[in-house]
Amino acid sequence: MPHIEWGFLIVNYLFLGGLSAGLFFVSAFALYLQQKDPAYERLARYSALLAPWPVALGSSLLILDLGNWYRFYVLFLHFRWQSPMSIGSWLLVLFTGITLVYLWSWLPQDHRTGLLRRLKLPPSLNRELSHLRPLLAAIGFPFSIGVAIYTGVLLGAVQARPFWNTNLVAQMFLFSALSSGCAVLILVLSLRPKLLEPAQIRFLYMLDIFLITLEFFIVLPYLIHGQLSVQAVRDSLELILGGPFTVAFWLLFLGLGLLLPLLIEIFETVPALFSKAEIHHNRRLAVLNAALVLFGGYMLRYIFVYAGQISAFR
Amino acid sequence: MIRKLDPNPKNPKSRGMLCARGNAGLLQVYDPKRIKKPLIRAGARGEGKWREVSWDEAFDYTANKLKEIKLKHGPQGVLWSSTEAFAEVFFKNLGLAFGSPNIVRHPTLCLASVNLAYSVTFGAVPSFDLQNANYVIMAGANRFESFITPDTMDLIDSTMNRKTRLVYLDPRFTVTAAKADEWYPIKPGSDLAFILALVHVIIAEGRHDKEFVKTYCQGFDQLAEHVKKYSPEWAGNETEIAAANIVRIAREFSDAAPRALFYSGRRSSWYRNDFQMRRAQAILNAIVGNWDKQGGVVPNSKIALGEFLYLPWDDPEAPRIDEMDKNFPLAAKSDGAYLKLRENVLAANPYPVKGWMICKQDPLSALPDQSKTMRMVEQMDFIATIDIQMSDTAWYADVVLPESTYLERQDPVEVLAGIWPVVVMRQPVVKPVHDTKPCLDIVQGIAKRLDLGMYFDYTIDQWNEAAVKELPLDAPMDYLRNHGVYTPPGGPNYGATLNPDHRFVTQSGKIEIFSDRLKEFGHDPLPVYQPPEQPPAGSFRMLVGRKAYFTHANSSSNPWLLDFAPENFLWINPKSASHAGIADGELVEVSSSAGSAKLRARLTEHIRPDCVSMLHGFGKRSQWLTRAYNRGGNDAAVLENGWDGVSGNAAMHETFVKVRKA
Amino acid sequence: MSQKRYILVIDSRKCINCKACIVACRAENRVPLGHSRDRINEERRGSFPVLLATFEPEQCHHCENPSCVRVCPTGASHRRDDGIVLVTDDTCIGCRYCMVSCPYNARFFREDRGVVEKCSLCSHRLDRGELPACVQTCPSKVRACGDIADPESEVSRLLDKREYRVKNPQTGNAPQIYYLL
Repeated sequence: MPHIEWGFLIVNYLFLGGLSAGLFFVSAFALYLQQKDPAYERLARYSALLAPWPVALGSSLLILDLGNWYRFYVLFLHFRWQSPMSIGSWLLVLFTGITLVYLWSWLPQDHRTGLLRRLKLPPSLNRELSHLRPLLAAIGFPFSIGVAIYTGVLLGAVQARPFWNTNLVAQMFLFSALSSGCAVLILVLSLRPKLLEPAQIRFLYMLDIFLITLEFFIVLPYLIHGQLSVQAVRDSLELILGGPFTVAFWLLFLGLGLLLPLLIEIFETVPALFSKAEIHHNRRLAVLNAALVLFGGYMLRYIFVYAGQISAFR
Repeated sequence: MIRKLDPNPKNPKSRGMLCARGNAGLLQVYDPKRIKKPLIRAGARGEGKWREVSWDEAFDYTANKLKEIKLKHGPQGVLWSSTEAFAEVFFKNLGLAFGSPNIVRHPTLCLASVNLAYSVTFGAVPSFDLQNANYVIMAGANRFESFITPDTMDLIDSTMNRKTRLVYLDPRFTVTAAKADEWYPIKPGSDLAFILALVHVIIAEGRHDKEFVKTYCQGFDQLAEHVKKYSPEWAGNETEIAAANIVRIAREFSDAAPRALFYSGRRSSWYRNDFQMRRAQAILNAIVGNWDKQGGVVPNSKIALGEFLYLPWDDPEAPRIDEMDKNFPLAAKSDGAYLKLRENVLAANPYPVKGWMICKQDPLSALPDQSKTMRMVEQMDFIATIDIQMSDTAWYADVVLPESTYLERQDPVEVLAGIWPVVVMRQPVVKPVHDTKPCLDIVQGIAKRLDLGMYFDYTIDQWNEAAVKELPLDAPMDYLRNHGVYTPPGGPNYGATLNPDHRFVTQSGKIEIFSDRLKEFGHDPLPVYQPPEQPPAGSFRMLVGRKAYFTHANSSSNPWLLDFAPENFLWINPKSASHAGIADGELVEVSSSAGSAKLRARLTEHIRPDCVSMLHGFGKRSQWLTRAYNRGGNDAAVLENGWDGVSGNAAMHETFVKVRKA
Repeated sequence: MSQKRYILVIDSRKCINCKACIVACRAENRVPLGHSRDRINEERRGSFPVLLATFEPEQCHHCENPSCVRVCPTGASHRRDDGIVLVTDDTCIGCRYCMVSCPYNARFFREDRGVVEKCSLCSHRLDRGELPACVQTCPSKVRACGDIADPESEVSRLLDKREYRVKNPQTGNAPQIYYLL
């Protein structure tokens, strides 16, 4: 009988990797929009400052999950193009590097000085990189998409697990990751004392509505496609259609994690959608909404990691 | 350090294979809870407090105790019990040299009824040529699951290559049932009816081997008359096997003869009528003329071994405590009848027995009705156990003498009997890991202190030299040392007794279908059917069984084996379980008049609704059997005392139990 | 000499679930307690007294197109030219992606060393001309192991004259355990 090899460390890692990818994606997007509207600067900066940390934590969890964590360097002695994990680990390390440099480029001079002093690093590192932001964003952008997709490909490439074995998983994880990145930003900015400007919240909500909608229209075909697929895939869908993960999937992920935040976001943005009226901006609702999105993203990874490992060809 | 055990490819018995137990045997040597030094009890019996002592102290202590008992109660006051082992002969001889008539061995817990039934009928204990049989009927002998021997290999090979048709009767759906061509969940205890009906059909339809019966058998006419009343329709009612099937099986069986046989099994300790049931099997085999023919029932060939001429001792003066002459005059006297013996020891009838020397045996696990065995333990003044591990009985002993395992000791040369017998010699592959000794050294150590040393004044090599001297080899010892096995040339032998002048070792010199000798001793001269008692409403018949990865009750603590069955379960049919409100996996108490055991229920369609069953050898009391201690239920605690009246063989399937949630 | 290619042929009907193969493997390969590299799948159907029980030995299928090898990020899982799929202890980082990717659940995680372990088809024995431990020890000779590239080998002859199947071929792994029908 198949049993669970990948547990919560992997769930967390997939989730956190996605968060960073989403944050970087939002930052790069906002940086681009900043050219027209300086209001986006705050979004780009916050997401740039947040982006490296989830992936760094996630990667450490991944290493902790290894049977021999101290051998993790072996990953970087090989490049195996057929192994999603090999590609992924290279992507992760390059992406993390870019996010760190990108973060550096967003730090003001005095912060850099203070940091270098505290970390006892040579002051020669204290360079002004702000002019490199667009370049770094441009380089990092495909990496962020890559990392977000990769977390899905890692599972989707496993043909032994019918629950995973479709490229829709990669798309699902991609949009979920980007949406989660958005949600982190909404959450953090809503908790800051300085209120979000209408343009900022409008951008984030509209982006998230777009991403959640895309995600929803991946989940739907995933179910339909699965039902029309071979017996093993249909059997594996029983795990969520009438099995141990039914409540988690329908209520916790699809209901609370996807559709409810979508409704909240639509409700909040409705006035702004069809007229020039101001967007609602209920701070509590924004926090709740962001928390739900993050919860949904986490549930999605939990369900896929666990249910997928149980699914098998019989 | 032993890393792996491989089969001896030269041994035709093992044919290059090892069973699970054989593969796991090396862990016996490295078991951290082995008995590493001689032990003398330091606390109360069963408390598990021991004092490690030197061999000298252990021998002195044992010999002194034995002397005390001898002085007070005579040499018959010490019971010597042992089980099948190459070195068993030394231990038995010590008991005899000591002057005790009370030597008791394992057959009456095992196959005494089969052996006696075939001896009475054919004058010999035969083998069953499963490799060449085309039609095999087997009842209860769960050869694919409970015990892996050459018979198993022969039968699975011929059955699965569609050469042999296997008809199997068992109240349980065992592995053998799963592999058989036909399986009948016969009503327990009615086997004799099935066999008598087969005989009835075969004779009624004139399908017996008339020539063979005329030439070699006596009493056929009485049999023909006797079985008239045992029609297939009647047997159908008794056995719950449809009459049409009985008729068909009888026809197919006799058509396939002489390459057809009714397999009589190994452990035949089932019912109080076990002897007569095995007799009927022997008679069925006789009338189809499969005796001593390829694919039939074949007398064991012999290889004569020499004997070391040790100093002989006087025969014991006292009668045996189990009074074999009176109770089981036809049975093998030297093996004893274990359960009757226990009765008489408990009653001190006709005299007290106060000392118990035990070698390799675990009576607390092996004998039905553990509470009685425990009382026997309690009434002993002294108990010493020779074993390789702390068995339940050793746990209650006063002295434990650690024997070297089979991989650490030189054993006596032995003949493995059969249609194609071989001589084997087991040699040590490593030096003893702990302060242990082989059986002969232990026997000699005790003998010397009992002033019996002169009867054991030889080495194991001298003993073996004498044994193999006559083998047709240039340097027999060297040959056996190099090869481990000697196989006589030529292969299996058939037909040596198929000569009209051959005298069978029976009273008449013929194959005795009708036995005057049985009549003379007050037993039925032809098997007479008595319907078995049935469990009262709400009770079940308890069946015991084995898995081939455990050696009786011995190896359930081996980590390589134990995870196949970390505990035993009570098999119960879901229909019966739902009546009692028992769910799968639930802890239940199984109780009989003898006692009770607690174990978890396994609801399974693989057993008749009127029976329950459990695996033998669990629920250990010995805390040194770390992995088996207190795991599952102990069958010995539940089984009631009872035996077959002719052979003295224990009747282990005659216990009715109640099952309730624990 | 042409390249050997080892396969296993299993006649499950002969299997009596005696576990000798599992214990022989434990001894031969010092498999850590609580684990085994091979197993016997049991299937039981029916209700009293119409019953069926089958036993099917299984271990690594030594696939021709092994998914475990493909997903391994370090190359620790690899396939030899003779078809035997192995894990190199020293380069296995214990990510267990191979376990998740094996359609046959033929691998286990070895806690004491932090690596993944599996049936090696006793490659060390095959290399010195001996049969794998499970093949050798089996009382009912359920398994045959040999070179499918050699038309005279026992496995080739068995597959020539008997019908057979492989398990879950739809995964595309091209498994190399052939079950006789």
